[in-house]
This record gives sequence, structure tokens and C-alpha cells, in this order.
Amino acid sequence: MVSFARFVRAAVGACALLLLVVAAPAPVGAQQVNPTASSVKEQQLLQELNRIQGRVSIPDERSGVLEQPQGRQWREFHNVTLRWIGGIAIIGMLAVLVIFYLTRGMVRLESGRSGRTLVRFNIYERFVHWMTATCFIILAISGLNITFGRPLLLPLIGFENFSEWSLWAKYAHNYLSFPFTIGVVLILLMWIGGNIPNKVDVEWLKRGGGIVGHDHPPAYRFNAGQKAVYWIVVIGGGLVAASGYVLMFPFYTTGIEGMQMAQIVHSVVAVLFVAAMIAHIYIGTIGMEGAFEAMGTGEVDVNWAREHHSLWLDEQMARTGPNDGRPQPATAAAE
Amino acid sequence: MARMKFLCDADRCIECNACVTACKNEHEVPWGINRRRVVTLNDGKPGERSISMACMHCTDAPCAAVCPVNCFYTTADAVVLHSKDLCIGCGYCFYACPFGAPQYPKVGNFGSRGKMDKCTYCAGGPEADGSKEEYEKYGANRLAEGKLPLCAEMCSTKSLLAGDGEIIAQIYKERVMKRGYGSGAWGWKTAYRETIES
Amino acid sequence: MLIKRTHQHSPRQGSVVESLAARAGGLDRRSFLRKSGVAGGALAALGTMPLGSVRKAEAAKAGPLTEGATIRKSICTHCSVGCTVTAEVLNGVWIGQEPSWDSPINRGSHCAKGASVRELVHSERRLRYPMKLVGGQWTRVSWDTAINEIGDKLQAVREKSGPDSVYWLGSAKMTNEGAYLFRKLGAFWGTNNTDHQARICHSTTVTGVANTWGYGAMTNSYNDIRNAKTQVVLGGNPAEAHPVSLQHLLEGKELQKANFVVIDPRLTRTAAHATEYVRMRPGTDIPVLYGMMWHILQNGWEDKEFIRQRVYGFDDIKKEVEKWPPEEVERVTGIPGEQLKRVAKMFATEKPATLIWAMGQTQKTVGTANVRASCIALLMTGNVGKAGAGANIFRGHDNVQGATDVGLDIVTLPFYYGLAEGAWKHWSRVWEVDYDFLKSRFDSKQIMETPGIPLTRWFEAVTLPKDQVAQKDTVKAVFVQGHASNSITRIPESLNGLKALELLVIADPHPTTWASLAVEAGRKDGVYILPVATQFECKGSRVASNRSLQWGEQIVKPIFESKDDLEVIYLMAKKLGFADQMFKKIKVENNLPEAEDVLREMNRGSWSTGYCGQSPERLKAHMKNQAKFDMLTMRAPKDDPEVGGDYYGLPWPCWGSPEVKHPGTPLLYNTNLHVMDGGGTFRPRFGIEREEKLPDGTTRKVSLLADGSYSLGSGIQDGYPEFTLASLKKLGWDSELTEAEMAVINKVNPANPDTVSWALDLSGGIQRVALAHGCVPYGNGKARMNAFGLPDPIPVHREPIYTPRVDLVAKYPTLPDAKQFRMPNIGFSVQKAAVEKGIAKQFPLILSSGRLVEYEGGGEETRTNPWLAELQQDMFIEINPADAAERGVKDGGWVWVTGAENNSRARMKALVTERVGKGVAWMPFHFGGWFAGKDLRGNYPKGTDPIVLGESANTITTYGYDPATGMQEPKVTLCQIAAA
Repeated sequence: MVSFARFVRAAVGACALLLLVVAAPAPVGAQQVNPTASSVKEQQLLQELNRIQGRVSIPDERSGVLEQPQGRQWREFHNVTLRWIGGIAIIGMLAVLVIFYLTRGMVRLESGRSGRTLVRFNIYERFVHWMTATCFIILAISGLNITFGRPLLLPLIGFENFSEWSLWAKYAHNYLSFPFTIGVVLILLMWIGGNIPNKVDVEWLKRGGGIVGHDHPPAYRFNAGQKAVYWIVVIGGGLVAASGYVLMFPFYTTGIEGMQMAQIVHSVVAVLFVAAMIAHIYIGTIGMEGAFEAMGTGEVDVNWAREHHSLWLDEQMARTGPNDGRPQPATAAAE
Repeated sequence: MARMKFLCDADRCIECNACVTACKNEHEVPWGINRRRVVTLNDGKPGERSISMACMHCTDAPCAAVCPVNCFYTTADAVVLHSKDLCIGCGYCFYACPFGAPQYPKVGNFGSRGKMDKCTYCAGGPEADGSKEEYEKYGANRLAEGKLPLCAEMCSTKSLLAGDGEIIAQIYKERVMKRGYGSGAWGWKTAYRETIES
Repeated sequence: MLIKRTHQHSPRQGSVVESLAARAGGLDRRSFLRKSGVAGGALAALGTMPLGSVRKAEAAKAGPLTEGATIRKSICTHCSVGCTVTAEVLNGVWIGQEPSWDSPINRGSHCAKGASVRELVHSERRLRYPMKLVGGQWTRVSWDTAINEIGDKLQAVREKSGPDSVYWLGSAKMTNEGAYLFRKLGAFWGTNNTDHQARICHSTTVTGVANTWGYGAMTNSYNDIRNAKTQVVLGGNPAEAHPVSLQHLLEGKELQKANFVVIDPRLTRTAAHATEYVRMRPGTDIPVLYGMMWHILQNGWEDKEFIRQRVYGFDDIKKEVEKWPPEEVERVTGIPGEQLKRVAKMFATEKPATLIWAMGQTQKTVGTANVRASCIALLMTGNVGKAGAGANIFRGHDNVQGATDVGLDIVTLPFYYGLAEGAWKHWSRVWEVDYDFLKSRFDSKQIMETPGIPLTRWFEAVTLPKDQVAQKDTVKAVFVQGHASNSITRIPESLNGLKALELLVIADPHPTTWASLAVEAGRKDGVYILPVATQFECKGSRVASNRSLQWGEQIVKPIFESKDDLEVIYLMAKKLGFADQMFKKIKVENNLPEAEDVLREMNRGSWSTGYCGQSPERLKAHMKNQAKFDMLTMRAPKDDPEVGGDYYGLPWPCWGSPEVKHPGTPLLYNTNLHVMDGGGTFRPRFGIEREEKLPDGTTRKVSLLADGSYSLGSGIQDGYPEFTLASLKKLGWDSELTEAEMAVINKVNPANPDTVSWALDLSGGIQRVALAHGCVPYGNGKARMNAFGLPDPIPVHREPIYTPRVDLVAKYPTLPDAKQFRMPNIGFSVQKAAVEKGIAKQFPLILSSGRLVEYEGGGEETRTNPWLAELQQDMFIEINPADAAERGVKDGGWVWVTGAENNSRARMKALVTERVGKGVAWMPFHFGGWFAGKDLRGNYPKGTDPIVLGESANTITTYGYDPATGMQEPKVTLCQIAAA
């Protein structure tokens, strides 16, 4: 009896299968259809597309996506992968810098200060730099807050405070993106002249930038390290800005996959960017004597220039002599 | 302990949208926010099926996992709720949600999103049950009144089921066994990491 | 952390769910079985059980916000299913809707419309006070001013052009009581120009079906479809038009493992759930049905015994069917013979089989013939008068059946008494007014007994030359209470009518497209709009498609300055000077006639249709005891003190006076039951015998009475004619009449009391005695396959007026031009001219139209509801991908649709979809407020414009009227589509 029942079931199943097979290749709009037997199946659709999309009558096209299990992959990225990438990049960079500082200390001006200065960045350049830098720092902190705030900060200050802070951080992140983007564009335009890689950079890189030991490979206005920073800012900044605007104007230009992709690009580039900028800040501050002045007062000591940008100094000297310790207007240097 | 779930029997769903307007009615949901929607697959072709979809109140909910401010919580009935006081409208839950459930009112400048809104399984929010504040932010709290979500209760063909997961799974299983066909418990594998064998 | 409820409240949550689980485990098996209507294990029952019923058992408690709210029940009027709406009312405000678990019809369910009806009442965009058009501006006026000015103008029109120059357009949205009073208003005003939506939805059904077997209504019920082994839907899309009915259809399909066949030009949402989908060419229903019958007869699948006993005219049909072999059917319909054979076999052999239809069959020039052919198919296979079988005709609104029954119609007085002198005399007796007084209200006795003008042609009655309209003068004034103008075909021409009218009165919760199009037509004055309450602000009875009457309570009082329909009718009658006569037997308080009293008057006069037993008290008891009715049989347990043995809603006919306690008739013509249990027979309405001509020139008389078939327990075990005093005497049953009854009978016809029939006997005595002997008061006759008297007694295929198949017109032309309903019907000339002018080449796409689930009718009410409007924000036309590609039309892109008449054009979005086949386009008919690409939002009184506006499908629709009813033809015409 049991085996007979099984046989019947198998036979019915086979018939159903046969029906499906027969129904499947029938041309669309054919007369003979059994809509009940040929109904779409969830698992089949998911296997084919990993996304199920259909028609809805409301004009919101997003809502036509019935299921997108890749949301779970995005979650995995956001909660695990990104935190690893960010953690390794940022903490790794900090660690490297700490070790470097402890072993190498501040790179001193070997020949001491000459007392004579040279205009390195004019007021306009410094304004652009600091505008961009300020925005960047706030964007970085508010951005890192989104990824790391929940495990790190929330337990310390509590839900309400953290949300309040995060909300303001979000506003800041959204609004400061505009000056930041402008800054990146201006940086691109004003410094591109000195940042095209050339043969000197090869030599500079071969000698490791002179970081180890007391070597001073020659460099024009920007050495290869600075050029790297420039391109990181321009390309990285461009990417975070572009992906950021996609996120800020959700679904205007793309669907859910595009949004997820934009968020992945934005966050990965951003954490790497932050790591790179930490290094930049290090070199520009405690990493090297005399470096901060370049963006601080805009003038550097001639000896500093000789040690770090010998070719640039030569260029500048050829045009005009160094001043006598008095600050000179930026335009004067160019005369 | 009960584990509340939704199940849409696509072989019964006729895209009548009762679930959608019942939700609007019960919670006075504003224009542009669709806590529930009906999607039609293979529209106009043999094999067409419509499925009513809202927040599925997932096991290990992705929205809750990715929320930067941790504004989600899960009730004893396994209903996934959130606090609009904490939400910052970042939109991350929408990227993570496999079902497109989170909705954002358009407020402020550019694409700036307001506090996220989604299906509450008619279970309100963190405020006191049935309070005016709760109603204004999240809508009615039927669960606290011993009632199930109105979308399922009003479903025209009893396609959309709500209630304890084991019971509605059993109902669906029996249906499939009785009638001999079923296109699956849509979203269950994704939401609850299980399927209904039939 | 955040979780509020987990710890504090979990015990209660748990208890709810635990007991839920316990019940599902089978503890309360009996209630499961009763609810689900199936026998079997608890879980099998559970599989079909509404989940809510599990929950319902939990004593749901009100939350703090709903505390103190009262529960009131009314009926959703958006379609004909008749869903109960349960409202929570607090301090006079409707604050929430709850599922109506107790209703055996909807069992908690709603569709998009039903689940959002609360919004209709407190809508911001309702008409708030009466307005009139002054110099092209909408200006607020008081009710008194409006009624006075309207009344004076109507009297002026009457004096100049006669009472027939006022067109009274009523509504299926009204309660029975409202619709009945509106018809009565027409009668007292002195015209038969009183019509309502049934004209444009199921007038052909009513005529066709009544002419076949007696009554023009759904024979079975939505619930009963659960019993069917084969469900065939031909010309309907209930998934969108009657969504809650699908609960019964789909559960029936599942439980019975039934065949679910959908024959339709579109792969609709209903077709998506079919077990067999058949795509046909629009407008070929009769060839489809004859094609099926050809296979049935060929294979001997017909029900020979049923035909012999209960059917007249079978041989005539056989002859016609022979003309439709599979090749010809395929040539005309496009359906392969094999597929149709399969469907025919299921229909005839896997019984009971039911045929379901709606406007897909009716809205055609051959509408009456279509439904006749459907009835014939049912008769041929013996699929009438049984559970699970029958003509399940899905009407349009919950109360279109009622409004038809109460005679809001151009061809009859209430309850199908007709317009002959006898009918007028019957109603003058019921109303207790002098017959001569009524006669004096009309232009002539002749016009008093002549059917009026169908609403489909109201504008022609305004604009045609006087000599072409067979009444004293053309129509000069239209008083419309609850009807959309955009649901009537040929909108471009209706603009001429709107312009030419002397007076237009629109009484509605919304200004409707009448107002916006009147302004568009160039009117500057002579238009009044009166705010009428929605159905949730009125009380009264409504009839669902299954003939059940349900009493709706007033949920909230009329808001703003709006008034109940009944009050508006009373105010008009008072102004026009006949309120005292008209409301002689009806209690009126503060100008508001009492609905209960109106129903009692209907009870007293409605013997012909069996509306005599449904007293307001009984109906209210049914609403109160809804939970006691079985979902499948719709019957209450016999021992219940209040509703014992009744069928839910006392589906008419509910014979005798309320005291007779007839339970109602859930299935018409069902001989398997005693008449006092709802049994019945076919009604011999067309004589008891007929003289037929034989081929040799001789004649023979053929009986039209049933042959050896009778309802269970019948005192006469064969066919019999309707009961009169004379027939009672013949049977020797007259002695059972009481003295009081005899006195009334003698009063009805003092000259010749013997002729007083069951339908005219105001005492109900004749019915009572017939019922006591197990006999059906109207008699026991044969259903007519040959409906002699109709334009096409045997249904004949006729191509639509505008057909793409010009090659078929010569063989299947429409009927010759003729004069019908006081007006010429020139369909033949129009069809001929279209063929000659090559219209089908210019406009190669067939255009059909239908419903969307979110909207209803002309749609102004539902397009004003944001919860619904959000779901359908744009008017669209469905077009097949192949047709779209040929025209460069993109999904979601704008297109111009042009029509075959009046250089009509309309701008809308394209929905490129395979729902429609190649060569077919389809539009929803609910949109309005645009005309020929122009947005008319500014034409509405400020703040009353619906949220969503769009082109009306009827801007494109064309000429074509069913000769038997004046039904329009919006289901099949021609159009062209171009990318905009």
C-alpha cells in the first residue's frame, strides 16, 4: 500500500514536472497556458538573479525590488570587512608612525636654520589647503563615527547623546562635503603643475625619500612623497566626493545595487584616505622640523628647502635671491 | 516564546492592495511612505504572481546590525522595532534590508532623509503602549491590544498571514498539501533562514 | 537597552500567542470547522481558515486611544460583494476600522477600497456646502436658496416642455430606500426618465437573464462558488473588480481542486490564478459560448433530462450552434478548437460548474445576447438551480442590484412590475394615492406607460432635433444624484449636451466630472452642486450581488452641510409640491424620511420579487447576529431565537410578509429544497404555452411549464402557472385564505377578484397559501433558450460597431437601425460607414476598458482618497510590447490615444505589457478631470478637486447601443496610439 502511494506520488510529480517542461518553452502569449502550474518560484528566481524585481503601481521604482538578499553581503562588508580594512589601515598607520617616531624621531634640519626664508605657499594656497584640511578632519571624524562610533563611542556616552552627536555629525558631513569638494578641485588645479611625476621622483623613491639615515635626495617643489599625497587627495577626494553625492542624493542616479556600491567605494576610499592623511599630518607636524611652516606662515627656511627640495630651491634662487629674513609677499617671489 | 512572522501565500495574492491601504488607515501613514507594498512578478505573463511585502522582522535583522546608532530593538515577540528619537536618517538600513522595508520621509535639503519609518507589525515603538506619543510616531499598537497586524487581518483572500511563525507555517503547509501547489514562502529563507518544506 | 516591552510585557504577549497556538492545535475544532466550512482534520480546516478567526476568540481589548469608542457596522458600497465595514466611533468621529470577522461574506477581509473607506468620510476635499455657477464662478449658496431656485427652474421647464424634459439620474450608491424614493420622485414628477448605473453596467444582464428564467440577478452567491468543481470566468476580472470574492473563488478552487478557467482578452490578475487561461478577441463572447456548446452537443455532454424537464427552445439553439464548428469559432475568436473543447468538457462534465461574468459580457451592443448565450450554456449542461452552479453575475456596486430591484429604471416601476396600467394601479394602491392623480402628473397615459430614455444617451436627448425624441420636448434639465458623467461613453459629444442644458443639478459628496466638464463645455451658469452625504453617514438597506439585504447603520452624522439622500429627495418633493402625497405613509422628521419606514412601504408593495419579508427588524437582527450564519450555506441554526433558519441577509425572494418567516432564497430555481427552505423553480413569466410554427406550415402548442420537475415537497408535482385567486379556487385552497386577506383581495380588484395574483395581492394571502402547499407563488415554468420577444430571441453573433475584422461584418452585421427608448439607434449605419471609410485601418488597435482595484466607477470619490490615489497616480493605456515597439512607445512614456469618432484624443501614459495581446489596448475607466490633453483642475470648486486627475477612457469610446437596453459599448472599439 505504502509503496503504491509512493508510486502514485512519484507519478504525479513526474507529470507535474512534465507539465512544467512543456509549459516552459511555450511562446509568450500562447493560448494554452496553465498559469497556476507555471507560476514563478522564489528559489528559482533567486538562483537566477540573486534579486527579485517586479512591477508596482506606485511611482517609486525602488519598491519594485521585492527581495535583494545581497543586502546581507553589504551588511557583512559594512560590519566586518570595512571595520577590518579601516582598523588595519588607520591603526596600522598610527602604529607605523609611532614606531618610526620612536626610532627615528623628528627629522631635524641638519644644517640648522639659516634665518633666511623662502615663500613656499602663498596665502591663497594656504587658504585652500586649510579649508580642505579642516573639512577633511570633520568629515573624517563624522564619517568614522558612522563605522566605528557604535562600538567605540556609544557605550561611553549612551544612546541619546550618541544619536544627538551623530545627527549633528551627519549634518556636518553632508554640508561640509561642499567646501571639501571645492577644495579638492582647487588643489587639483593649483598644484597640478608641480605634481606631474618625473625622473627625479624615480631617484627620490630609489633612495627611499631619505627617510632612513641622513640622505637628502633632490626634489623640485614637490617630492614624490608629496606628489603621492597630492594624487591621493585628488583621486581619493574625487572618489569620496562622487560616491558621497550618490549617497547624499539617494536613488536619483542609481538603484539599490548602485547605492550599496557607492557606499562601499566611499567607505573604503575614505578609511584609506584617512590613514594616508594621518601620515601626511605626521610629516607636516612632528615628523619633520620646519615642515609645518610651509603651510603655517607659508615661508620655509632656505636650509630646509636645500635639504628637502634642492632643485626647487635652485629654481627659486635663479629667479630671485632669498630675502633677508623679512617675509615677502607671495607675488614678490614670482617677480 | 512566540516568534511573530509574516507569510504571503503568492498563490492567493491578487494585488488588491488591501494590506497597503489598511496599513495607511490604521497608522495614518503619509503619502510617499509605503510601509507595505505589493510587487507583481512576471506581470502579464503566464505564471504571474503578486507578493505583498513589508518588513519581515528578520531573525538577526540586518537593519539592526548595520544601524550606526543602534536604534533598533527586538521585542519578545521577535518584532523588530526602532526608535525614531535615535534614528539619524542615514539610510544604511535600506541598503542592508533584503526587502526594501525602510522608508524615509523627504525632509530638508537635497536628498536628506528624515527619521526612518517602517512596518511595526502594528506593535508601535518604545513609548508607552497605546500612548498618543507612540501613535504619532509609529502608529497604532494592535499587538498590545491582543490583535494582529491589520494588513493581514484584512487581506482579501487570506493570502497574507501574520502570527506565530510555527502556526502560519503550518497553515501554509496544509494549504500546499491540500491544493497541490505553492510557489514558496516568499522571503522566508532570507528573513528567517528557513523554508517551509511541503 | 532599548527594549521596552520584552521584560515588562512579555507575559501578556506570550499568553496571546500561546492560546493562539493552543487553539490552532485543535482545541476548538468545532469553531474551526464551522468557519472554514469543510469537514476534515483540524489542520485541514486550519489551512483554509481565516487566521483572524483564531485571534478573534481572544478578547481584544481597546487601547487607551480607542477606549470608549462605539462599534458601528455598515456596508462597503464600492463593489457588489457587500463587505461589512466595522467602524470605531469616538465622540462622533470615525477613528478606526476593524476587521469584520462576523460577516459570512467578507470574514474580516477588505480590498484596497474597503480598507480605506474611513477616509471618504473625513476627506478634506469633499463638497462642503451647496454651490452654484454664477458667471463662470462657483459661488456658495444656502440649501434653501438652492432648493428654491432649482425647484422654480424645474417647474418652469415642466410648464414649457413637459415633465419628460427633466432627466432624473439616480444612483446605485444610494440605499434601497434612497433609490426607491428617487424612483418614486420620478413617478410623482411624472416621468419615466429615471435611471441609474445599472444601465451602464448590467442592464443587459437583468434583461437577458430575466427573459431566460424569470429574475435578473445572480442565481447563486459568492460563498456558494466554493462548491463549484468548475469555475469559468467569461467577461470579468473579479480579482480587481470584486477582490474579496476571490477569497471564495480561490479557496473553492483549492478545496475542490476545481478547474478555474478564465476566458478574457487580457491576462488579468484573475487569469494569473487560473488553471486554464484562454485568450479571446474582444467582442466574440457568443462565438466562444457557441463554440463550447458545439463540442458539448457533438459529444452528447448536454444534460438531456434537465433540458427535457425545465428548458424551452432547445431545438432552436441546436440549429444555431451548428453554425459554429471549431474552424469558424477559431476564425472569429482566435481560440483553437482543442482548447475550447477542453474547456467545454470541463464545463459540461466536471459539475457543478458555474459561469461568472461582469461587464466584459454586458457592455456591448450584443450585451443582452451575450448573457443569454451564457444562460443557455448553463441550461444546456444543467448547471442552474444547484449549489456550486449557476450564473454568478458580479454586479458593480453594493446596491446596484437593489437600485435595480426598487425600479430606479426607465422600463419599470419598483420590483419589475413594468409600466402598464396594472403596475401603476398596484403602486397607487401601495402608495395610497389616486391613480388618476399619478396619471395627471404625466404628459399622457401613453408616455406614462412608455419606457424612458437610457442614461447612456442623455446628451442626445438634449441635442437631437425635437422630432427625433419621442416625447413632448427634448431634455432641458438633468438632476443627477450620485452618478459620474465620465462613466458614460462619447464624452466629446456629451459636452454639447452639457452646454445646451438649461439646468444641471449635481447632488454628490464630490462635484464629479459633471461639474468640471460643464465648465469645460463653456457653461457660465445654470449649474448647482449639492453636497450629499456618503453612504456611511446614512442608514438603510443595501443589496449585495447575491441578493442579500444588509442593513447599514449610520456611522457618523453627515459632515459639513451635506445631507442624507433621503432628505434631499424630500426637500425636492416638498418644493415641487407633492411631498404630502409622496410621503403619505412614511414618517418624516426634520425633513428626513425614516429609512425603516421607507423599507416597510417597500415590503408592502414588493410581492413580485419577494422583498416583502425583509422588514427592517429582521435585517437588523441579521447584522446583530452575523456570527451565527454559516460561511458556506449562509444559514443560521434553526434553533436561534432571532434569526433561526434564516439565510444571511434574507436573499430575495423572501416570500410573504415578515411574519411568514421565509428564510430567503440563497440559490434561485433550486428544486432540491422546499420553497420554505429557499427552494424554487423557473418562473413562467411569458405565458404558459406558445404556438410554434412547424416546417409543414401547421402550428402546434408547446407548454412553457415545467415537465415533471418541481421543488421539494411541492403540493403540485408538475409545472404550474402563477397563483391567482382563481387558481387557488381551482385547487380548492382558497378556503385557507383568512377573511382579512379576502377583504384585501376584494379591494385590490373589486370588479374581478379572481384575477388578483400573488404579485398584486397586498395581503400576501395568496403567497402564504401557496407556500403552505410547498408551491412557489410565481409558478413552475421552463427556462427559455428561445426568448421570443427580444430583438434576438436566439443569440446571434454580431460584430462590434467598430470592429477590426471588417471581413466579418457582412456575415455578422449588427442589427438594423431602429427606434428604441424614444430615440433612434443608428448602430447599423455607423458600422456600415466605419467599414466603408476604412476606420479599422486608421485605428488598428482594439480598445477595451475595465476596472482597477484602487478605484471605483467614475472614480472621483476614490481618486480623492490619498490612500488609494497614491497607488494609481496616472491614467494609462496597456499596450502589447510588439505594438509598442512598432510605434516607438516606451513603458511609462506619454502617448496620445486617438479614437474613431469626433477626432477624439487623450494624453496618458503607456503601460507596455503582455497582459494584452497584440492588437489590443486597454484602459481603466476611472479617470477624469482631463480632456483632450488639458488638465481641468481649475474647473472644480476650490479645494474639491480630486488628488489624481487623468483622461477619461470615455473620451475615446464610440457609438453603439444594445437594442434591448440601450447599453453602451465601451468594452470594444478602435483606437490608435502614438508616442507623445
